[in-house]
Amino acid sequence: MTAMRSGKASPEQLIVDGFAEPLRLPYYRIPDGAGSFDPARFQALLQQVVRQVLARAGLSSAERRTLPVFVGSSCFSIGSSEAGYTQALVRDARNAIPMPFCGYQGIASAVQHALGSRGDTYNYNTACTSSANALLAALRMLAVGEYPQALVVGAELANRTTLAGFHGLQLTAERVQPFDARRQGLVLGEGVGAVLLSAQPGSTGELRLLGGANNCDGWSVVTANPDGKSVAAVLRASLDNAGLHAAQVCGIKAHGTATPAGDTAEALGLRQVFEELPPLSVLKPYLGHTLGACGVNELVLYAGALQQGFLPATPGFEVPDPQLEVHPLRTEASAEPGHYLLNHFGFGGNNTVLVLEKPA
Amino acid sequence: MKIGIAAASHYFQPLGDADTLPALDDMLAGLCREPFRRVDRFIHLALLGSARCALGVALQPDCGLYLGSGLGPMGSNIATQEQLIRERNIPRPFDFINTLGGSAGYYIARNLELSAQNVFISRRGASLQAVLNTALADLALGIMTQALVGIVEEVTQPLAAHRRRQGLPAGTAVAEGSHWLLLQASASAASVLTTKRFASFAEISDYLKSVWRPGDQLRCSGRTESSTAAALQRQFAEVSAPHPNAPFHDSLEAAWVTEFVAAGTAGNLYLASGTPDRDWTLFHFGT
Repeated sequence: MTAMRSGKASPEQLIVDGFAEPLRLPYYRIPDGAGSFDPARFQALLQQVVRQVLARAGLSSAERRTLPVFVGSSCFSIGSSEAGYTQALVRDARNAIPMPFCGYQGIASAVQHALGSRGDTYNYNTACTSSANALLAALRMLAVGEYPQALVVGAELANRTTLAGFHGLQLTAERVQPFDARRQGLVLGEGVGAVLLSAQPGSTGELRLLGGANNCDGWSVVTANPDGKSVAAVLRASLDNAGLHAAQVCGIKAHGTATPAGDTAEALGLRQVFEELPPLSVLKPYLGHTLGACGVNELVLYAGALQQGFLPATPGFEVPDPQLEVHPLRTEASAEPGHYLLNHFGFGGNNTVLVLEKPA
Repeated sequence: MKIGIAAASHYFQPLGDADTLPALDDMLAGLCREPFRRVDRFIHLALLGSARCALGVALQPDCGLYLGSGLGPMGSNIATQEQLIRERNIPRPFDFINTLGGSAGYYIARNLELSAQNVFISRRGASLQAVLNTALADLALGIMTQALVGIVEEVTQPLAAHRRRQGLPAGTAVAEGSHWLLLQASASAASVLTTKRFASFAEISDYLKSVWRPGDQLRCSGRTESSTAAALQRQFAEVSAPHPNAPFHDSLEAAWVTEFVAAGTAGNLYLASGTPDRDWTLFHFGT
């Protein structure tokens, strides 16, 4: 929040060794003092975040015991698996097996341990839309009365697979420059966030997650169709789901990966739906692209800004791209009561938009 | 809520140490619109099951895709970790992309020309319940009128390593599978799915006694504690013995369900899950 208020943030250089030449990548790291790839960080950070959320929510022990946990992540426990395999190779290379820990249950189990919960778990792995899809699913489960409350967690921490994988895809850049004519790619980051959703109306002035939509296009496994049609379709579906018209939207948290193709698809999609674009903010210049966790992490940040009455500026956007005609805020603006969209797009042509209401 | 089951497909392949993984190419012939390249076995299994389920059925433009798996695309994850750690190389781009569970959903959408909701969900030992709960909520809310729900579990070789990852004793049989249901909001289909919640073991037991007919089947999901599962099954002992030598498969309940529905078995299959200190869920698949 401090960085968003100042409009300034920058990544650090992360060194990924284990290759002929170490990789040097800009990275937004959680400054917790631990080693970058220490798998124990996951448990510690998850417990810290979950306990903060629960302390605010004031759930009874009975509510905690049955609380369902929805998790969205791209990496899940891959960091622990990397560490386990690396150590096993040192101990006994002949018997070491890759992926000694597998599956998607690790984060939810750690959260349940912190909660003392035995409720249902849902683990979403749809790339960068993972935790946005977890939020949407949890919201719908509350709407049909399946659960009275739901904890939604987004978690993404530094791991070699993700860092080297994105490096191999040549999608990374030195700076995040969303919708800028000179944008060259994304800068990765890590983050752990959690949101407690409740079917009960909140206190006066509390933000409401109203709805949203998800869709998929078959254009490419790494990006949405650059003609913007599937992005436009998911934007329209999210507005329909919340019973809104485009003109009622007061602001948009764009996905804004700053990749040439990703920003093109998002910009063209936005322009097909909005005659005049509402104020646009991109949060990745503050925390990097936290991949599967960005749905929860960016919701927490954007909601925090709305509650404090401002729409964040987008550092890194300096030279407008005439092909996009999308101009994120260069300085913060006032956040009025009304409706806000949060965009998320991921590998697999997976698109998710959430609708948030800031009450009067 | 009563939901129609318009179609089902069932692929289940147990494997022992002497077996090799069956080639899927022949089975996929004629089921794919295009020859998908740079895809892994998990994606092939997903394409196979989903295409068989959708064969001869009109998929609606709003049809949602709900893909579940307990373990996900293990083969690509293993290949990527080998490249990264043992070989000290940057992972090959398509191996890296295929490590994501959701990548299979992309290829299914492309193959079946789906463009609506598309999610990948996992719950260890109970992924079918997780995807069914999610799809049923969306159908109830009118988000869509049709949902293609599938579970895929991949086996990797060598089997000894596969077993070690799951903590299984040496020699345990394992199975790969692809299990699919096409659900629709209209209950006019030949088979139906209903779901109920119960506050206690006594409630679900009483309910089952009231609806039970000769020939019905009851299964308890992998997350149900063995003592309570046994207690429930004792009351319906004449039909409830689950495959005593069932091979390890993280979504065995999905195999039971799709085998039952795809075969057009008469009667009812009940799938129960729960623990002593929380409520119970009962999925009912019937004709």
